[in-house]
This record gives sequence, C-alpha cells and structure tokens, in this order.
Amino acid sequence: MNRLVVLILLCVALVSGCREPFEPDIKAADLTVLVVEGYLDTEGLPSQLKLSYTRNIQLDDSSLPSYPSAEVYLESASGMDYPLTDLGGGVYEFAYDIPENDNYTLRIMSSDGKSYTSELIKPILTPEIIDVGFEKNENGVEVYLTTKGDQNADDFLWTYEETYAFRPKISSSYRYDSEQEDVVIRSFDERTTLCYRGEVSADLILETSSRFEDQFVFRQSITQIPQNDERLSVRYSILISQKALDKKASEFWEILRKNTNDLGSIFSPLPSNIRGNIKNDQDPTLPVVGYVSLGTVKQERYFIDVGEVIPWRADVPEYYECFIEPDTVLMEKYGQSFASGSFVPVVPIIPEGAFNPIGFQGAARRCTDCTLRGTNVKPDFWED
Amino acid sequence: MKRILLLILLVSFFAEINAQTNTTKLTGLYLGMSFERFAEKLESESDYKFYFKKADVENLQVNLQARDTDIRMVLDQVFAESGLSYSIDASKRVWVSKGKRMLIDFPQDYFLVQEKQDDNLARAGDSLSAFDKNKRFVIGKSADNPQSKTAILSGVVTSIESGKPMNGAIVLEKVNYSQIATDQNGNYKLTLPKGRHTIWVQNIGGFQEQRQIDLKGDGVLNMSIEETILSLDEVVVSSGAMSNLNKLDMGVQSITIAEVKRLPAVMGEVDVLKGVLIMPGVNTVGEATSGFNVRGGAADQNLILYGNSTIFNPTHAFGFFSAFNSDMVNGVELYKGSIPVNYGGRLSSVLQVDPKFGRKDKIGGSGGIGILTSRLSLEGPIGEKTIFTVGGRTTYSNWALDLLDDDADLNDSKITFYDINANIQHNFNEKNVIELTAYLSQDDFRFDADTTYSYQNINLALGWKHFFNDQLEGRFTVGSDNYQFGIRGEDNPLNSFDFGFDVQQLFLRADFEYRKNENHIMKFGVHGIQYTLNPGSNKPYGSESIVIEKNLDEENAREVSVYFGDEFTVSEKLSVSYGGRYMLYQLLGPMTVNQYVDGEPITESNLTGEQTFGSGESVQTYHGPEFRASARYTLTNKSSIKAGFNTMRQNIHLLSNTSSISPTDSWKLSDTYIKPQTGGQASLGYYRNLAKNRLEFSTEVYYRYMSNLLDYRSGANIILNENIEQDVLNSDGKAYGLELLLKKSTGTLKGSLAYTYSRSLMKTSDEPSIEKINGGDFYSSNFDQPHHLVLVANYELSKRVNTSFNLNYGTGRPITLPISKFDYAGSERVYFSERNAYRIPDYFRIDFSVNVEGSHKIKKLAHSSWSFGIYNVLGRSNPYSVYYTPVEGQLKGYQLSIFARPIPFITYNFSF
Repeated sequence: MNRLVVLILLCVALVSGCREPFEPDIKAADLTVLVVEGYLDTEGLPSQLKLSYTRNIQLDDSSLPSYPSAEVYLESASGMDYPLTDLGGGVYEFAYDIPENDNYTLRIMSSDGKSYTSELIKPILTPEIIDVGFEKNENGVEVYLTTKGDQNADDFLWTYEETYAFRPKISSSYRYDSEQEDVVIRSFDERTTLCYRGEVSADLILETSSRFEDQFVFRQSITQIPQNDERLSVRYSILISQKALDKKASEFWEILRKNTNDLGSIFSPLPSNIRGNIKNDQDPTLPVVGYVSLGTVKQERYFIDVGEVIPWRADVPEYYECFIEPDTVLMEKYGQSFASGSFVPVVPIIPEGAFNPIGFQGAARRCTDCTLRGTNVKPDFWED
Repeated sequence: MKRILLLILLVSFFAEINAQTNTTKLTGLYLGMSFERFAEKLESESDYKFYFKKADVENLQVNLQARDTDIRMVLDQVFAESGLSYSIDASKRVWVSKGKRMLIDFPQDYFLVQEKQDDNLARAGDSLSAFDKNKRFVIGKSADNPQSKTAILSGVVTSIESGKPMNGAIVLEKVNYSQIATDQNGNYKLTLPKGRHTIWVQNIGGFQEQRQIDLKGDGVLNMSIEETILSLDEVVVSSGAMSNLNKLDMGVQSITIAEVKRLPAVMGEVDVLKGVLIMPGVNTVGEATSGFNVRGGAADQNLILYGNSTIFNPTHAFGFFSAFNSDMVNGVELYKGSIPVNYGGRLSSVLQVDPKFGRKDKIGGSGGIGILTSRLSLEGPIGEKTIFTVGGRTTYSNWALDLLDDDADLNDSKITFYDINANIQHNFNEKNVIELTAYLSQDDFRFDADTTYSYQNINLALGWKHFFNDQLEGRFTVGSDNYQFGIRGEDNPLNSFDFGFDVQQLFLRADFEYRKNENHIMKFGVHGIQYTLNPGSNKPYGSESIVIEKNLDEENAREVSVYFGDEFTVSEKLSVSYGGRYMLYQLLGPMTVNQYVDGEPITESNLTGEQTFGSGESVQTYHGPEFRASARYTLTNKSSIKAGFNTMRQNIHLLSNTSSISPTDSWKLSDTYIKPQTGGQASLGYYRNLAKNRLEFSTEVYYRYMSNLLDYRSGANIILNENIEQDVLNSDGKAYGLELLLKKSTGTLKGSLAYTYSRSLMKTSDEPSIEKINGGDFYSSNFDQPHHLVLVANYELSKRVNTSFNLNYGTGRPITLPISKFDYAGSERVYFSERNAYRIPDYFRIDFSVNVEGSHKIKKLAHSSWSFGIYNVLGRSNPYSVYYTPVEGQLKGYQLSIFARPIPFITYNFSF
C-alpha cells in the first residue's frame, strides 16, 4: 500500500493527477452470490449468522442488500440438530452451548429451493487476550494487544470497534425556543456539548502465533491513531475481538483482507476469487462466499483518556473556520437570527448590574452542535 | 586540355596525401551566398582555388556557419544533396563536378607494377592509417597451411577521427565480389584465394579506401578510415536492407544504441530495454516495469545476457529505469523466433546486450547529466594490446521525493541506485583474445523509515577466444552471476526482521564455430551451470527482536547442455539451419522433500511424509532435447520466405503473483513438484524490400505452446513458503500472433512501423489441483494484449539537429475486476470477476524529442549534445492499474496512471 501512496504522490508532485475515478462497463452479469457470515459461539453466548446476496458494484451506498429467507441449522457429526432463530433481515441467532470436541456442518435451506452445506467445522476455543495497551510515538498513538497461541489456536483474527467522546469547537448551553420566542437553557436531553460517535472498523488483522517464540504474540499492532486525531480529543474506547481460526479460515480472511487493502499498487498481488467453506448442494461449482467458524470470541474493551496522551490538540476539519460572531444579537432580533436553527446563541451579553442578558453572541450550528455528528446518549458500556 | 589535366593530376597525386592531413580550417559566416561568391570568398581567405562549371552551381546557395571547421566538412555540407561532388588536390585546388567525384588519383592497379619491394616489410597486424592505400601488405605466412588455396583475412576497421571501431563498414574484394560488413566491434573476416588483392573498405556515406595485399596465409589487416559522418553517435549503418532478406534467423530484432538514443525517453534516461519495446511482438504490462513479454511469454522466460552474463533483474528503481548504462552497451539483439542453438534455458526469447570494449586510439570518455541520473565512462587502450571501458551511473532522484517533504508519509523515502561496468579486452596475438566483463548494480529504496528494500546484481565473466585455424574458432567462458534482494523491517524493535533472498549461478561454457567449407557453418559446444539458490531467510534484526529465524532449505542444482547446429547453404536460394540441444538438469541434496498422496492434489491434507536426501545426492533429474530448425528461401532478389520451429526448456522460474515483476519476486529451481517449463514455437515469415531497398517489410506469424507454467491459487503466499508446491498451480499456455514491420533505415527520415496481433492464454493443467482457475478453461494471461502498434519516426532537420516522434498504442491488459459487493466483517467488500475477464482501457501515448549535436570539430575538448523532449505529449492518463478501495465505507474505483501528464525532460551528453 505504501508503494501505491508513493506512486500517487510522485505523480502528484511531478505531473499531478494520476489517480482518477474509474467506472468500467460491467457486463450485465447479474451476479447474485450468496454471502454467509458467522462466527458462532459454542459456549451459549448469543451469536449471529448473516445471509445476504452480493449486489452490483455500481449501486450506490444506500441500496440495501437483498437476502434469502431460509431455514438454517447446525448439525453435529453425532446427529444433533441446532436450529437458528430467524431474527429477520437475513440475520439468524445461534445460542447453544455445544460440545467443542464434536464436528459440525451448517445447513441452509433457502425458500427458493436451493440448499447449501458447509464443510465440516471443528470448533476452536480462542485463548484469552493477555493484555491491551497503547504507546505514544511520533506518529500518534498505537493500540496493541498481546496474546498467546496454543496447540489448537495458531492463527488469529482481530477486528475492532471504536467509540469516542468528542466536543464541538464551540460549546453552547442555549437554544432559541420558538414558542417562548426567547433563548432558553438546553435541557439535559437537548445538550450539544458532549457526544459519542463510533463505528466498526473494516480492518482485519491476521497473525500466526507459531511465527513467534512460544507462540507469544507480543504487542501486536491493532490500530494507529494519528497525532491530533479527534478520536483522542476527549476519551476513546476500543473493543477488540479476538478469534482463533483454522488454517483454511485464515486463508479466507487473508484473501478478504488482501482483496480489500492491497489492490492497485504496482506490485500488489492479483485479486483472488473468494469462496469459503459453503457449497451449493444442487451445483457445487456455483460460487458461495463466506467462511463460517465455530468457537469462542474473546473481547477486551480498553479506554484511553486525553489526559494520558497530552499534548493532544484536536484537529477536526469539520470545525475549521468556527468562531463566535462578535456582533451581539439583541433580544428583539432573536427570532430573526436564531429561529432557523442554523445560527445558535452562545455567549449571553449581560450589562453590569443587570440580571438578564440583553442579547447573545452566536455561532454557526455546525460549530456548536455535536449531535450533528454523533449522539449525546452515553453508550451503556462507557466508563468515565 | 586533357593532357594538361592529366599532367596536373599526375603531379599532384603523391602530394594529395599531405593535403589530407594538413587540411585548412575555416571560420566564418556564409549566409545566402551563391556558390560563386562563396568560392570567391574562400579563395580570398585561404589559398584554395575552385574549379567549376558555372552552370553546375547556378542553383546552389550556401548557408552555413563554420567555426574552425575542416574545409572538407564545410564542402560536404555545401554539396550535400546538390548532386555535385568535389575533389581537392595537393595544390589546394578544389575540383567541382556533377555526379561522380572527379578522379584525381589513378586507378590503383596503375601503379601496381611500380610497387617497391620494401613495402613487403610492412608487417601484418599493424594499424594502418589513411595514406597506406598504396603500400602492399603481405598478410600471413605461406608456410602456415600450404595445402589450402584460400586464407582468412580478418581485422578491425576503426575510425580515424575517433579511433572507435566502425560498425557496418563494407570490406570488399572486387574480383569475385566477396564482401562482408563489419560487426559492431569493427571486426570483419573474409575468406579469399591466396595471392594479390585490392581490398576496398567503405563506410556507407563515407569515402572508399583501399589496401593492396598479398595474401599468403591467415592474417590480420586492421584499417583506419575516415568517418566523415557528422554524428557523434556510433555510426549506424546496418548491413540492413540485404540482411533482412538473407539472414537465416527469423524473428530477430536488433537495435543499435544510436537508435535507442534517438528515442524519446522517460526523464531523458536512455534506456536499452525501452528500445526493445518498439519491436513487434514485444509487450509490457505497464510503464513502471522493465519486465517485458515476448510473443505471449512471461517476463521470466526471457534470457537477458550482458555479454555472457545472465542478468536476473535488469531494472533500477523498481522498474522505472533499465539497469544497463547506455554508454556501456553497443546494441541489443532480441531473438524471439528461432533462437540460435548456442542459447538455451529460457522459454521465450534471448536478449543479447552487447558490452562495449573501448576504443583503440586514445583514452576518451563520455557521460551525461540528466534530471534524475548522471553517468560517466572512460575507455581507451592500455599499452598496445589491451583496451578497456569502465563506466558508472548513479541517481540523485531523492530530490524528487524531497519535493514531497510536506507530506509526513514520505519524509523518510529514499531511492538510490548505481551501476558499474568494467570491461577489458586483451589481444595476446592474432589468435588469442581474452575478455573480462564485470557488472554490478545496486538498488536501495524505502518509502518510510521502517522498511528498506534493496537488491543487487553482480556478474563477472572471463572469456578466451582462440582461433585454432582458419576453420575453427573456439570461445571458452567462465563466470558467475549473482542476484540478491533483501527487505529489512524496523517498524517495531520487537518485530524487526531482515529478509534475504539470493541466487548464484557459476557457469562454464565452450562454444565452437567450425566452417567446413563455404556451405557449412557448424556451431557446437557445451554449457554447464551450477545453481545455488537461497529461497529466503528471515532473521531477527536488532537485539530486542523476538522474530524467530526462519531459513528455507538452500537449493542446489546443476544443468549441463550440449549442442550442435549447422547452417547449411544448400544453394544460392535455399539455406537451412538445423540443430539441437540436450539438457540434463539435476536437483541436488541436501534437501527434504514432502511426499503427497499419489494422484491427489498437492495440499497440506494430502501430505503423507517426507524424504530426506543427503548432500550431493540427486533429488530429481530432468532431461530432454531441444530442437532448432529454420530455413530461408530467396524468392527474388527483393523477397524471401523463412520458416522455423524450435523447442525450449527452462529450469528456473520466477515466483510472482503480481502482474508486473517486482524486485522482491524470488526465483525457484525446478524440483520434484515444480517441473521444468517446456514449450515450442513454429513460425513463418515473408520478407520484402521495397522502393529500391530503402524500405524493408517483413511479416511473421507464430504459434507457441507451453507446459508447466506457474499460476497461483487464491491467497497463495510466495514469500518464505516452505511448501510452495501447495500454492502453485501447474498451468498450460498457448500463444499465437501476427507481426508486421515496415522499416526505413536510410535517408533523412528514418523510422519503423510495427503492428502486432497476438494472444496469450493459460489454463490450469489437467493434473489434480486444489483449484482450477476459471473452471479449468483457457483464460487470458496477464499480458494478453491483442493489438499493439508502434510508430517511430526520426527526421534529420540538419546534420546537427534531429527530431524523433514515437507513437504507441496497445490494447489494455487483462484485469480481474470487482463486479459485485457485499458486506462482511462490518465493511463493504468486493467480489471479483473470473480471472482476467476484463481489460483496463487501451494504452495510447505520443512522445517527441529533439537531439542537438554540438559542433563537429575533431579537435575539441569534448563533444556535446543536448536531448530534450516531451514524454506523453498528449498527457493521456494511461491507466497502469485499476483498483477499488473503500472510502468512508463506500467502495470507489480508481485508475492509477504513472505518467498522466506530458513530462518534459532534458539531458546533456558529452564525449571526449
């Protein structure tokens, strides 16, 4: 990937503009391939299996994937059936404590008459995460993880989810109430000064523990937060999931990772066909994407407070050119200035000796309202 | 009148020689003058007198500036294309005549009778100068081989002006019209009846020179002749027009360094390998790769030879530049059809890069200063019998990266490379010559402070050429070729690693050429290679690192080939060439080989055990023949047809699952599971000269089949993989195509137009394998580009200024495209089409360049020239690659071009 970056920048520096959008004419191959995703927990914790169809690459983002309606169950080699509960939207829940020493197959009976069967799956118990920590370096903050492989668990996959608290550039506790035609103090539910925001990262981190002495995976880098990134401006939380994989599963995830990350650079490997461990029973040559695994997922949540990484000045492009208008909006003009909502009262102007403000200085809403970019409801897991 | 003239000529005859050496230099500006005025002016300024007919020069206008220029050069320019000629006699009289040059000396044989006997003392082998034309030289000893009626005359033709060997000078004997053109080192060889001869030597565009010889036995006659061509480049006179028809080989393309220099170059860097790309049948997958594909073959199927040394990685800066310093190369020859029997070991082609061995007259040099690189070389004689060339090249391209300093990502980027060549040739005597070539290239680059890549070629070869007798010539070469690369990661002290790969081949070869009689040229020899290959080692770097050292087993092998071939001239119209090689390849222990269930795919689950072999034990042996056959039939004196068939074997493979060669691709020797690649090619061609031999036209069609090619299963890991056989897919290939070439190599407008239609297809073989790409059907290989058109035009505005134009069109290369998307692990992911089912947009580029030569005075400290031009004039963004990447969760497609804008360049070259 680095080389790609260099070439792009080299082009930009020398000649500029060598990266352009590319929209090819795709043959109208209406390829709807079944996609199966799931890492089912064998110790009874509810876990999900997702079914969907692939969709045309040129469809825009808002189009939702279609999915089959199907019956899904897990079948053990010793003859037990464990049906999954249909939660709707192609999502099925699995919540059974099943013996880890057995082998299993997953069966999907689609309502269109097709059926799919997985290869034999052997559950793998994931070892505990030993430690999560971070290190501040010249590039920012690196979050790392330490674990140790064992006889059954050699290959690991880490995925993570990030959540962070942030503040808008300009804090305001006021709003204009159109009924009262006055500026009022915001209630707790209406507060716009501290919000939370987060998403599941697309990154897939893979490592083989047998590469290291005693299968000890020491300080495996999970993510790198660049210096002055907003994520660490108040408080940051990362939930890391660790899954042990068998060899073939790790190859599947490696292809998925490579197909996502490594494409397009001068020396990048050729994209690989991605398949998995599921086959169509009627026509085994039909592609089905997805690798279903059984086992346990180990998770660790970790918090980093801005106090641990100072100095850290949040540099947020969304808040560039944010300032408080110096002109005071007098009371009679409140409606005119604030009613639309795009301009927000910020600083009350109270003459000496007076009790109530005679006017407000205001600022653009995008600079004061954090709920435009997140939620002001503190997540359940949040620890301050 | 006639008698007077004769008298004058007679008197002046012997004096002319002096006149040639003490010519007058002219300085002055002559603009828009009639010739008459020009002559008057010269007469007033010098002691020359002009004799001409007014009618002849009526339309002649003189426009030139001379600064200390030889009068002959001035007059050459004045009379160029006027249809007039001139002669200067000893009394500095200039005789201007229409058409033929006026004879002011006598026919040579006129004085033959009067030759003085003491001329016999002139020893053969002496380097002779221009005024030796009337001596008679006794060549050889009559005692040498008294039975033979003929003897071989050989020698070197050099230029008086530069002392450099002259390529393409014609050496001619006019009684039986035996003639030969000198090769790029100025060598010629003629078989003549014993006795007296007049040998003519003519450099096309230059004067004829002659030598009187008395040939008593084999011997050497070296000649220096006037070059008179106003060019600082090597003289480019190919024996061209005729050889296209008559050469027995087919599918051979050669390009001289002078031609390469005229091509517009990226960043002004004269690049031999880029010159190869203008030939029909040669493709490349992208601009930043010096790997090239010949007739649908993979890049690792090209044998790239510098002299006798195999160059494993011929590129610098991960493919932007070729690793050959243009000052150290005479020219290149690409064999893509009938591969000569003395070459083997690769499936597609042989690229013979000819090293330069230096001039004989004095120590000189040349060099160039460009935007990104500079080069300097020195050449000349050491003593009487030794000549040498040394040269080096280095880059300072870091400044380009420094421009990017404001971007934190590239602060620590660095690209450095250099290459050094040193060649020495020593002539013990006329029968023994030794040659030493040495080559070193080194690259280091990194894009961040954490990871450093480096690679290196080291090649050394020592050759001994021995002429046993007039029929048998032998050449013995011993050498060593090394290539290595390394990656050092220092991202984290705990995980710091040092990865290395290297391959070495020691080779020994003996090549013989035997001329049985005029109708047979036999080539035979033996070629042995000892391979030592370290497939990869990963070591902890630094004391804190906890990376476990991992070393793949070293691979050792030997390869022995014997060959024999005969070029047989059946009749004047028909020549055939036939021959074969037999190759024996042995992989040697110590080695541990995995064993798999018979008849099942090679996978981890089918692993049954392993077998260990001791040191030197034979692990696996492969052997087989290679056949070579070709024939030429001359239809008329302007056209011929040729046909050829050959088979090839290759024991060393490049492991690469990227579309272009990357410097971190490693080589692999054939082993129990990875079998030698084999293939064959049949081709047919028609050749015709048009427009009084000024235009050459040729067309060739070919069909190739290939077996045991390598492709890779999904997710294959080729670095540090102990069980690489589990990740490769044995594949078959086929390729076919049609090549058309129209070439004009004389006149002020030179150039070529090449069109190629070609296909290159692959399929996973029928052997059991874990994955059949595209269901086991044929699919386009990564370099299957059906249409390819290259137009090169070179127009000489004047003797000092020439312009070049280059047009390049090609079908976009195949690509595996993302066709649908799906959500997985919290992000949108891509589902790819079948292998190589789509193509990137077509490639189209136009380049333009201008070369300006400095003045051409002989006595000048240094000759210089400037090259400047524009690469990609149209600024078209030719995509190198296409990729999709999630941007804020949404998948976006991008095309990446490397040179998306017109790129101007300028280079200053000099020689002294």
